[in-house]
Amino acid sequence: MSYLTIIYSILEVIILLLIALFVGVLIPGIERKYVHARIQQRIGPPVTSSGLWASIKFLYKENIKPNSPVPGLYKAMPILCFIVVFLVFLALIPFNYNFVLFSSLIAIVGFLKVEEIAYVLMGSLSKSVMSAGLRFPDHVKGAERLGTLTSYLEDISSNRSLRMIAFGSFPLYLALFIPAALSGSIFLGDIIQYQQLHGPFIFTLSGIIGTVVFFIGLMIMLNEYPFSIVKAKADVIDGPYMEFASKYRTYIYVTRGFMIFTLSCLYGVLFLGIAPGLLNLHFILNIIVALIFVLFMGVFSAFSPVFTNKQFYPVVLVSSVIGALAVILGLLI
Amino acid sequence: MEEKKAKTQEIIETEIQMGTVHPAALEPYRVRFFVEDEIVKDAEVTIGVNHRGIERIMEGLPVEKANMLTEKICGICSNIHVWNSVRVAEIGLGVEIPDRALYLRIIVAELERLHSHFLFLAHGCEVLGHETFSMRVFYMRETIMELLHMIGGNRVQYGCSIIGGVRPRCDLDESKLIKITEGLDTTEKNLKEFADRFTRDTMLLSRVTGVGSIPQEQAIKLAVTGPSLRATGVKKDLRTEMFEYENFDFDIITQPDGDVKSNLLMRVLESFESIKILRQAIKNIPEGKVVDRSWEMVDTDIIKSYIEAPRGTLYHSYAIEDGRVRGSIVRTPSMANIGAMQYASIGSHITDAQLCIVQCDPCFTCSDRAVEVYDFDSHEKLDKSILQSNIL
Repeated sequence: MSYLTIIYSILEVIILLLIALFVGVLIPGIERKYVHARIQQRIGPPVTSSGLWASIKFLYKENIKPNSPVPGLYKAMPILCFIVVFLVFLALIPFNYNFVLFSSLIAIVGFLKVEEIAYVLMGSLSKSVMSAGLRFPDHVKGAERLGTLTSYLEDISSNRSLRMIAFGSFPLYLALFIPAALSGSIFLGDIIQYQQLHGPFIFTLSGIIGTVVFFIGLMIMLNEYPFSIVKAKADVIDGPYMEFASKYRTYIYVTRGFMIFTLSCLYGVLFLGIAPGLLNLHFILNIIVALIFVLFMGVFSAFSPVFTNKQFYPVVLVSSVIGALAVILGLLI
Repeated sequence: MEEKKAKTQEIIETEIQMGTVHPAALEPYRVRFFVEDEIVKDAEVTIGVNHRGIERIMEGLPVEKANMLTEKICGICSNIHVWNSVRVAEIGLGVEIPDRALYLRIIVAELERLHSHFLFLAHGCEVLGHETFSMRVFYMRETIMELLHMIGGNRVQYGCSIIGGVRPRCDLDESKLIKITEGLDTTEKNLKEFADRFTRDTMLLSRVTGVGSIPQEQAIKLAVTGPSLRATGVKKDLRTEMFEYENFDFDIITQPDGDVKSNLLMRVLESFESIKILRQAIKNIPEGKVVDRSWEMVDTDIIKSYIEAPRGTLYHSYAIEDGRVRGSIVRTPSMANIGAMQYASIGSHITDAQLCIVQCDPCFTCSDRAVEVYDFDSHEKLDKSILQSNIL
C-alpha cells in the first residue's frame, strides 16, 4: 500500500468526519424546523439554533460540578460515546475494510453495546438535585414514611438503560444481521461486494423488512420520541444527561448528530451497498439517507406520545419477530 | 463487654422525589413517590413553597381593594376568584345585581372555563409527550384568550366584577358580541376536530385508558370536586344551584371511569357545554346598566359563598367591619383534589404518575393557603408567633 493511498485515506476520513459533524449538528434544527414545526403549524426555531449554535454556545458556558460519586468518570462518558461512534464511522470507511475484524458486524455491535452501557453508567453516576427537593417530612400528611431510601431520577433512567440493553436493542441488531444472512458474510467489504454484484438489499423482501426494523431500532438506540423512556420528560427529565453542562453538553449534542449520520451510513453500507466516500460523492447519498431518517423520525415522534413499558414491549416484540423472520428469510434464500 | 452488632439498614421502600422544580409540573410542588420496580405504591404531594399570605394581606383592607387582591390568587381562573369574593360582599350587603351584569359575568366566567380546560388539555398532552396535540390545543385556546383580552383588556386578569355588577369597560357592544360568536364558532369547529382525532388515536388512548383510575366511592370519600369528580360519574355541578345560571340550559357532563381518559374527555365535553351557555348568554343578554352603585356599606358577620370554578367548588368567606375585610378564608378546588391525585398515582408506572397528578387539574399555587411551623429537630408543631419573632 503506497504512502499516497494512506495519506489520501486519512484526509478522506478527516473531511468525511467534518462533513458528518456539520450535518449532524444541523439535524436537530432540521427536525425541529422543517418537520415538527410544519406539522404543528408554527414557524419553529432557526435551523442552526437547535444543534449548531447551541453546541457552540455551550462551549463558552460555565461548567457545574456534577453531584456524582465519580465525577471524572461521569464527565468522561460523553467523550467515550463520541469515540465509540467515531470507531463505528471508521469501520464504515472503505479503506478500513482491509482490517476485516474491525470492519465487521460483530465489531459494530460491540461498539454500539459500549454506547448503550455508557448510558447505564451515566445514569448511575449522576445524582442531580432535581430529585432532592424539600428534604423534610410532610407533617400535614402525618409524615408517615420516614427514613426511606431515596433514589434519584437518574437511577431510574439507569435501570431503564439496562433494560434497553436486555431487550430494547434487539430490533437494530437483528436488522444488522439481515444483510449478513443475505450475503453470507459478516464483513462489510463482502456485503458491499455482494450488493454490487446482485443489487442492493433494499429491493429484496428481507431488505424492505430490514429497513423498517432498522428504522425502529435506530429510534430506540437514539432514545428518540416516542422511544425516549430513558429520558422521558414526564418523570426522569433528561435522564443520564441531566448534569452535563458546558462543553460536556456540546459533546452530547455533537455525538447525537454524528450518531444519526453514522447509523445512516451504516444503513447505506448494509442495505444500499454504498460505502461513505469522498471522491465518488457517496457521502451525498449518506446525507440524503440521514435526512430521510430524520424526516420519518420527526413525523413519527410528532404523532405519538412517549411510550411506557406497556407500549414499548409490544413494539419491540413485534419488530424483533419480523426482524428474525427477515433473517430466516435471508438465510433460506 | 457490650456485644457488637453490625448495623443493618432495613430498606422498606424506595422513595423518588420529584419537584419542587420539574418540567412536568406547571407549578412548584414536591411529590414523593414510594415505588417498587417503577410501580408507585404510595404518593405524597406536598405544597407550600408558594404561599403568599393573601388572606393576611386582605385583613383590614377596604372590601373593594380586598376583592381586587383575590384576583391575584390564580393566574388561570383569576376572574372566578374576584367574582366569588365580590359575591360574598353582595350577599352580605344585599346588593341587587343588574341582569346585564350577571350575563356579562357568566360570559367571562365561561370563557375563562374554556381557557382553563384548554390549558388542562394542552398540559395533559404535554405530559403525555404528545407535543403536536398540545400545540393544537394551545392554538384553540389562543382564540379564547383574544376574546378575553378584548373584554377585559388583559389576557389573564380582567378585573371584571365589582360590588354591584361589572366594570363599565367590560360591557359588550354589538360588535364585540359578534366577535365572540365568531370566536366560539371557530373554537367549536376546532374542538370537534380535536375530539375526533383524540378519540381515534389508538396510541394516545393506550397511554390514557385505565391509567390513574379513581373509583366513584373513593372520589366521594376523598371529597373530590369539580370535573375530576364528574369524571368518576358523579352528577354534581354547583352551577345548577347558582341563581346566576337559572336561565341557562346546559347538561352536567359525566364520564364513567375516573381515569386519565375520562378526565381529558370530561374537559372536552364540558367545553361544548360552556360554548352552549355562552351562545345563550350572547343571544339573551338584556339591555340596561351594568353596575348598581346604590348600595350601602354595613357591618356583617362571616358570609360564605360557594361557586363552581373551572376546577371545582371554590369557597370564599369574610366578615365586613367598618367597610373592611375581617377573617378572610379562601379554599380552592385543587386543595380538595390533592387526595385524589395521591390516590390516582398508586399502582401506576412512574412515567404515568405525573400524568395521574395532572389529570386532577392541579393549581397548587392557588391552594397554598396556610402555614404550619414545625421544629426542625423535634418535629413538633410550633406556635405561629415564631414567624413574627423570626422576622423581627
